[in-house]
Amino acid sequence: MTYPTPIWAVAPFAFYLLLIATLPLFLGAFWEHNRNKLIVAAVVSAPVLIYLVGVRAGGGQMLLRTGFDYVAFIALLGALFTISGGIYLRGSLVGTTLVNTAFLGVGAILGSLIGTTGASVLLIRPLLRANQQRAYTTHMVVFFIFIVSNGAGLLTPLGDPPLFLGFLRGVPFTWTLRLAAPWALVNGVLLVLFAILDRIIATRERRRPRKAGVVSLHPSAPQEPFRLDGAINLFWLLGIVVVVFVMGRYGTRLFGDSYLRSLVQILGLLGCGALSLVSTRREVHEANRFNWGPIVEVAVVFIGVFVTMIPALSFLGERGASLGITKPWQFFWASGALSSVLDNAPTYLTFASLAVGVTNSGGGMLSLDNLGGLAAHPSGQHLLAAVSCGAVFMGAITYIGNGPNFMVKAIAEQHHVRMPSFFGYTLWSFAILVPLFGVVSHIFF
Amino acid sequence: MIKDILVCLEGSPSTEAATRIAIGIAKACGAQMAGLAIIDEPDIRAGTPTGIGGSTYKHERDETLVADAKKLADDWVALFEGRCRAAGVPARSLEIVGRPAESILTEMEAHHLMVIGRDANFRFETEEHDNRTLNAILHKAMRPVLLVPEMTEPELGHTVLVAYDGSNAAKRAITSFAASGIAQGRAIHVATVDDNGVVARELSERAVAMLRTANVAATAHNIVSVLSNIDALFKLARDLGAGLMVMGAFTRGRLRELFSGSVTRGLVEQTEIPLYLQH
Repeated sequence: MTYPTPIWAVAPFAFYLLLIATLPLFLGAFWEHNRNKLIVAAVVSAPVLIYLVGVRAGGGQMLLRTGFDYVAFIALLGALFTISGGIYLRGSLVGTTLVNTAFLGVGAILGSLIGTTGASVLLIRPLLRANQQRAYTTHMVVFFIFIVSNGAGLLTPLGDPPLFLGFLRGVPFTWTLRLAAPWALVNGVLLVLFAILDRIIATRERRRPRKAGVVSLHPSAPQEPFRLDGAINLFWLLGIVVVVFVMGRYGTRLFGDSYLRSLVQILGLLGCGALSLVSTRREVHEANRFNWGPIVEVAVVFIGVFVTMIPALSFLGERGASLGITKPWQFFWASGALSSVLDNAPTYLTFASLAVGVTNSGGGMLSLDNLGGLAAHPSGQHLLAAVSCGAVFMGAITYIGNGPNFMVKAIAEQHHVRMPSFFGYTLWSFAILVPLFGVVSHIFF
Repeated sequence: MIKDILVCLEGSPSTEAATRIAIGIAKACGAQMAGLAIIDEPDIRAGTPTGIGGSTYKHERDETLVADAKKLADDWVALFEGRCRAAGVPARSLEIVGRPAESILTEMEAHHLMVIGRDANFRFETEEHDNRTLNAILHKAMRPVLLVPEMTEPELGHTVLVAYDGSNAAKRAITSFAASGIAQGRAIHVATVDDNGVVARELSERAVAMLRTANVAATAHNIVSVLSNIDALFKLARDLGAGLMVMGAFTRGRLRELFSGSVTRGLVEQTEIPLYLQH
């Protein structure tokens, strides 16, 4: 006999997400240390662990399944992080409107291949370097976050962590390709808007010259030819795509047991990362200021996310229909709104679970552990598409909506670009992104 | 007589002018100088929402900006010391890690006069403009402040205009200015702006009398004008060829300032000559 998930079991998840959003603001020095993050994760997870192991029927099994998901998730992020940190673009490009728009356009495609974090790491420094002579660069970084760090990642599970979480829970690898239309609309409109704005600003700069705004930490030599250092990593990147694609499509047929399949997938991802590490010259890592800090931090913080979300997702799956969110456009805006202030990965799973609950209330028999059923369901797939678009696109609304946002901001500030404050950036996104998302919602959901 | 001058160091052209003016005063008064550079580490490291994975990048960004601020502070201090040495003025310098307004207010307690560039930005690593620091200093300073805009004249000039409104701050400004030694050898004019010319004349005469008791001769002016107080004072300063204006700073409460504006703020924002201000 199964008992419904009590509402109190959702509280640690909500509380933990709140802590992740607010502790860096109010206890910045404390939050800087990974040990402290681990302590917070352990304390908030403790009641959930007790509930799962001691009270909930089948809780141990849920914990084990989530543990495998967690390791696979971190293995993918770690491998992509290692590989993108081993590629460095050299070359003395000049930051004209055409070049800058091309940069963002390339980023819009790369984001789905190497992840938005990888594309951001790869492109942000070359973009800043190309614009050393430009006085106004803030708009470039803001649009970079909009496009490369967020909107770009919608097309494959490699693009953005929430989509990979969906993939781990059974969404087919190629399913996200059906989101090409909203991807093209959002990124296309943003690229056009950027080109117009950059053109206006560049013209104004020529009329009223001011000292350059960007200070490059790795200035290019004059007339340095365009070159890709660490190109071997493109091969390891292909390896990641192959591992994820093959395991997604043929994994069950090849290995049967889902744990064994997960294990092989994890080993494949870690292997690609390790090969990247040993085959990349140290100078390339140094040029990218590569270190393990960010990925260790992600690994530590996500321990708490994965543990506390187990009962929260169950609760939403069981009672989703009673919460009043039933239409695709509601899923788009609700998942987006939460993704903008919390990390978009847990938000995606939360609303995908809610979508399962809503679909089941209409006569479906979908499982929370297999979102592939939702992706194939006639009405459920629309809900999943709305959740995917909301979580990926609206992660751009604030600096904390998606991992790479703050990374890009910090790197830009290291190059002395004046970045807007938290609320200043949000004004940019409300002026540009929210109306655009209104159009997306109207057309697609 | 001024014996100790504090100069706030940073990279704007107005601070360049402020250093030049301060060296001139120090030479004339036989004063020693202290240059103060501030590394605004608290604001650089201030907490901010970072998202998952962001605190490592924030730490790296903070380290870079603090190192950059430290290097710039070293450069400004070296430049200041070199200039003082070249001018033959005894000088020392300080580098303080802290919030700019608090650091300056604490440090200026030990000096007779503080000289600051009008457009100085002590929070240059995090903000494009820094009105907050100057505002806090002018509202809270217990010592006189010489505020210098970006200007090309090497010295203060021969003529001084004292703007007097009868407030306690204006009285303190006159008293400290008369004792400073800056008035020596200069032509001093006192002006009061009022709709009633008789009242204005009476007030300016009172200020002249105050200066006379400190052995400083001055000429009184009463201004009745259709122009705003700020424009009327600037017009008189231009007509007289004044190179310095002396006045009480923020003589009205913050609430009144909020509703009716502030003459001090207007003068600070628009002035093309140095302002000697006392709160």
